Amino acid sequence: MKFWTLALVGVSLAAQSVPKEQYDFAYIGQPLPDPMLQKAKETYVVLGCAYCHGLNLVPRGEAPDLKRSKVVSQDTDGKMITALLRSGIPQTPALSPMPSFSDLSDQQFADLARWIHYARAEGHLKELTEVGDPPAGNAGAGEGYFKQNCASCHSASGDLAGIAQRLRSPALKMAFLKPKLVGETRSWKIDQLRDTKKTEARQRHQHLLENYTAEEVSNLTAYLASLK
Amino acid sequence: MRLIGFKGGSDFSISWRSLGSWEEQRNEVGMRMKTSRRDFQSMATLGLAGLALQMQGWTGRANAQTRLGSRSIVSGVQFGIQPFCYHDLDMTIANRPELLRRIVQNGLGMVELHAVWCEPSFATGAVSRQAAREMLREWRTQTPRSYYEGIRKEFNDQGVDIFGYWTGINSTYTEAEIHATFDAAKALGCRGVTGSQGLAMSAKLIPYMKEHGIFMGLHNHDNLSDPDALSNEASFEKGFSLSALFRATLDLRHFAAGNGDAVGFLERHHDRVSSVHVGDRRKNNGRSTPFGEGDAPIVEVLRLIRDNQWPIVALLEFEHGTLRKEVDEVNLMFDYCKRALAS
Repeated sequence: MKFWTLALVGVSLAAQSVPKEQYDFAYIGQPLPDPMLQKAKETYVVLGCAYCHGLNLVPRGEAPDLKRSKVVSQDTDGKMITALLRSGIPQTPALSPMPSFSDLSDQQFADLARWIHYARAEGHLKELTEVGDPPAGNAGAGEGYFKQNCASCHSASGDLAGIAQRLRSPALKMAFLKPKLVGETRSWKIDQLRDTKKTEARQRHQHLLENYTAEEVSNLTAYLASLK
Repeated sequence: MRLIGFKGGSDFSISWRSLGSWEEQRNEVGMRMKTSRRDFQSMATLGLAGLALQMQGWTGRANAQTRLGSRSIVSGVQFGIQPFCYHDLDMTIANRPELLRRIVQNGLGMVELHAVWCEPSFATGAVSRQAAREMLREWRTQTPRSYYEGIRKEFNDQGVDIFGYWTGINSTYTEAEIHATFDAAKALGCRGVTGSQGLAMSAKLIPYMKEHGIFMGLHNHDNLSDPDALSNEASFEKGFSLSALFRATLDLRHFAAGNGDAVGFLERHHDRVSSVHVGDRRKNNGRSTPFGEGDAPIVEVLRLIRDNQWPIVALLEFEHGTLRKEVDEVNLMFDYCKRALAS
């Protein structure tokens, strides 16, 4: 693992023509285990997004907070982010308009969207899990949320039957906030490339993680805890 | 001295010798200046006080070069830095020693210092935003001049001259706060106060410029949709017409993004330009790029300043991304500029 991580850093540095001794580890951080994510992160830095919106989406100056952005919250596949990046926001009451990134490649747009969504999800996860003891949720409201957002894939009488006996909070909460498949590196075995179900599930859970409110999490936790 | 397209056809000569503080600049007799008929008429309109101020404005502009030696003067062009370049460094009082260390490491002898490197932040989770604003207001108006003189000494002792004081003066500032800000700039040894305030706010600052005798820099972005914003040549001309004391802090990156012609602007208005922010961007509100990859005429502008010996400070600034440590990236940028001036 260590060897591969170092090897990937080497490839990454070579691609950017930055000598390792000049690489800004202090600012960019140590390489991530997932090379696709690492490349996305570096693309976000190299294209200057980090200086206004923050590497981990803590904005500086008047730049919008992408953790609270309506456009990003509605984007599931990068298309809305890409459209905004292409056009920029020239008409704005802000001091400095959002620049246009019309000259980027599709791959660069995909990288930017990937990093924004990842950083947004991680930031939100931190907020949702580091708030101390959340108020007790409303199981009824949680059931309503479940039916609206989860029931197309999950069932209280199927895969989640008796979930409360197998998991207790905070593990129960983490199980739906960030299921294992969200954090794992995607497989590139050819028999799994067409595994759209898993890909969609990953995207869906990441999208939910980016957008849960603390109240929704409490309510959903209360509902799942009632499935004994 | 050959001047390209000098507005009004006038001509002036500038003493390049190092001068002292802003107070000393006021009395500097080594400055020789000729003014055009148009300038003279303008001065007459301003009256005697205005005349003195305008002269001081000229003087302040002419004293662009560092008084502390020859660090970062390349082919007669004084380079400095906009500390925003060190993106990884939070702009706080606590980080000021590290900022200074990096400026010295980059071999630069001049800086445009943001107020936040000098002013404490009261915006903690413990107090409301409004309360924090009140605390900052009180701090500004209560802080003695000696505090800023101490900061000036910190920088000067390391061979770094504080050229401009970057502030965010806006409608929430009281009169006392604005006076305190100008006082702070003078105590820091700055030639002027600079910011991205719009035209309406700038107009309100004219009495303060007159009272304190230093210029106010108008800094542009590329917001062409806001009639109050400094963005293109026409907006600068509106600003210049408000008072003879305004100077342009011409941002080459944003000017290029706003499809402006920086070379033409300098040909026409160099006498009103105190500094340029040197960086690169693509036109049509395009993105920032490494030096030489965008549409900002960095090489042309630097050579224009060099060849005409204009006392316009070149302040390095970048917002393009890099995987390098910021000090290394600034070195690359500075090298690019040195090469531009080498031939």
